Amino acid sequence: MTSGRIEELKKRRQREFKRKKNQIKYAVFCIIVAIIIYAFFLIHNVNYSILWLIGLLLGFVLQRSRFCFTASFRDPIMVGSTSLFKAVVVAFMISTVGFAIVQYNFIQGVQNISLNDIPGQIHPVGIHTALGAILFGIGMVVSGGCASGTLMRIGEGFLLQIVVLIGFIVGVLMGARHFEFWDKFIISQASTVYIPNYTGLPMATIIQVVVLILLYLLADWYDKKNSMMSM
Amino acid sequence: MKEVRIDCMYETCPIPLLKALKELKKMEIGDILIMETDHSCSITNVIDWAKKQGHNVDYVEISEGEWEIYIEKMR
Repeated sequence: MTSGRIEELKKRRQREFKRKKNQIKYAVFCIIVAIIIYAFFLIHNVNYSILWLIGLLLGFVLQRSRFCFTASFRDPIMVGSTSLFKAVVVAFMISTVGFAIVQYNFIQGVQNISLNDIPGQIHPVGIHTALGAILFGIGMVVSGGCASGTLMRIGEGFLLQIVVLIGFIVGVLMGARHFEFWDKFIISQASTVYIPNYTGLPMATIIQVVVLILLYLLADWYDKKNSMMSM
Repeated sequence: MKEVRIDCMYETCPIPLLKALKELKKMEIGDILIMETDHSCSITNVIDWAKKQGHNVDYVEISEGEWEIYIEKMR
């Protein structure tokens, strides 16, 4: 939706804007460097080469789509828009089904499964989960980005995020240093909840997907309600 | 029919949106708010919000990595 006056302002601005530098040579240079690194990994460590490719593709998608985990959890509260939140819920649905397949294949061939062996991040849940979530939530709203968003915007050239990166590194190092303390006093006391233990893997997957669909519908309703109220 | 210009350079979201909210409150219907920003995520953020509020909105790249967002106050 635009009006004539905005179009006029845009045209005036576009006439003043001349592209100063041609950036294609930088792009070619970066692609060549990326291919050289890929070739290097292919020779020395095939696993790293796969991770390198996935990392590049993830970064590309994040940058082009302007996908922002911070905004996905902040916008519903701040501006009442849940489009990014819905995208996160859809991503959860896909990864739920994906992980169910991976774990199902793993469980098939193994007797006496220990929770630590199952692929995926299965960890104790307790008060530390909530504490960590609050700390992370405050951090990401103040700094204007989560880990992936921060890294993506540094690549984009947004200088402020360099400051965030310094804080990010300090935080990670401190976390690694103090992890033993937390592990001893809180994390090891909490129990690991793995729902498929109680209901079986297929049932647990179905329950999780249904819950996510309900969340999606709720978010959709919330989004519509907010835009109607403002009309 | 004024044009109000606000400077949101080097601000991460949600600051540009909060500045726009504050400024729009003071403006009259038909006025145009021009925001300068270099934060690409703010564009989606602000435009989403403005569309929801029923304002006319558009943006244009004014230099490498710098954009202007136009919001025409409609109500």
